[in-house]
Amino acid sequence: MPVDDWAELLAAANAGDSRAYERFLLTVTPVLRGIVMARGRSLGQASCEDVVQDVLLAIHLKRHTWTEGAPVRPWLYAITRYKVIDAFRARGRQIDLPIDDFLTDLMADAGPDPTDASDMAKLIGMLGERPAAIVRMIGVEGATVAETGQTLQMSDGAVRVALHRALKALAALRARHVE
Amino acid sequence: MKTESLIRALVADTAIDRRPVVILTGGLLAALVGTVFFIWVTLGFRDDLTAALANPVSSLRFVLTGSLALVAGRLALLLSRPAGEARARLWPLLVVLAVALAAVLWAGRTTPPGGLLMAVVGKTAGACLISIVLLSVVPVAVILATLRHGATTAPVLAGRLAGLCGGGLAAMAYALHCTEDTPLFYVTWYGLAILAVTVISGLVGARLLRW
Repeated sequence: MPVDDWAELLAAANAGDSRAYERFLLTVTPVLRGIVMARGRSLGQASCEDVVQDVLLAIHLKRHTWTEGAPVRPWLYAITRYKVIDAFRARGRQIDLPIDDFLTDLMADAGPDPTDASDMAKLIGMLGERPAAIVRMIGVEGATVAETGQTLQMSDGAVRVALHRALKALAALRARHVE
Repeated sequence: MKTESLIRALVADTAIDRRPVVILTGGLLAALVGTVFFIWVTLGFRDDLTAALANPVSSLRFVLTGSLALVAGRLALLLSRPAGEARARLWPLLVVLAVALAAVLWAGRTTPPGGLLMAVVGKTAGACLISIVLLSVVPVAVILATLRHGATTAPVLAGRLAGLCGGGLAAMAYALHCTEDTPLFYVTWYGLAILAVTVISGLVGARLLRW
């Protein structure tokens, strides 16, 4: 996929187009996975996917730090590099990650189910009952915000606010995990 | 949890934070106004402020501290973004430092040798150090909060730049009160105070700016 498409998708996403955002995340995920796998094969596949999910969460919560018009890749790779180093630090390893190495895209081979990871589920379990339910309903069960609101008897706005806070809390839990 | 599930949850969250520049500009303006007001109420402005502003040697303090804050603030903003350090050019900071040192040299040559030490030590060195360090707490906190809100990949450098900018602003505000007009005094003591703030802020940044 050409570079321009990433910038276009992310610009549309940051302007509120959630279809563009979904496409952006789905497009970059295999590339991120390739980078993480190439660097961290020794961690094992599930751990690698944990790191991929960390990176996705970081991209999500920090997407306002991308400047429209700026190239997406250096920004994206800097976040990836930062999170990969974090993951290794958490596992007590020292690695060297020259950023130039990221400039060639490495696509991962699709294994049987390389996209399942365990840490995020554990962290969601550490959230409160309601935020955890919201993340699970929307993420795992694929419910819409409206459906989730109906089930939990909350307004759409309250569900959105709770979801945003839950994702921030997940990132914070993860950071504490890492330290 | 599968990655596609996580992506579904991320896509459903449409809240996006404000850009760092918006937060920094608003926050720093408020901090600067607050600091100047605080000095006016507590220490008071110097009585001959208008005359001092007309004197280039004295008003150079505002130029030096102000440009330091401006340059460091811009750099801090650059560093609030991932990989910002790759695009940050630090040499403008050296220009400010060079001008400050040139002012010291000039003052050293125009002050009679017997009075050099007295000119450097001045009368208010202690108060100056303590005031600038204390006054910098709020502006530095504003910049660190902005950086935290961003995503820096160079926490220590970002923290130090926050210290330089906040310390510069604090020194600029303190200069409204301070009557020590020779560069021998203000470059030395303002400089030391700003340096202390920079070191501390770098240490704080190393811990606070991880994400």
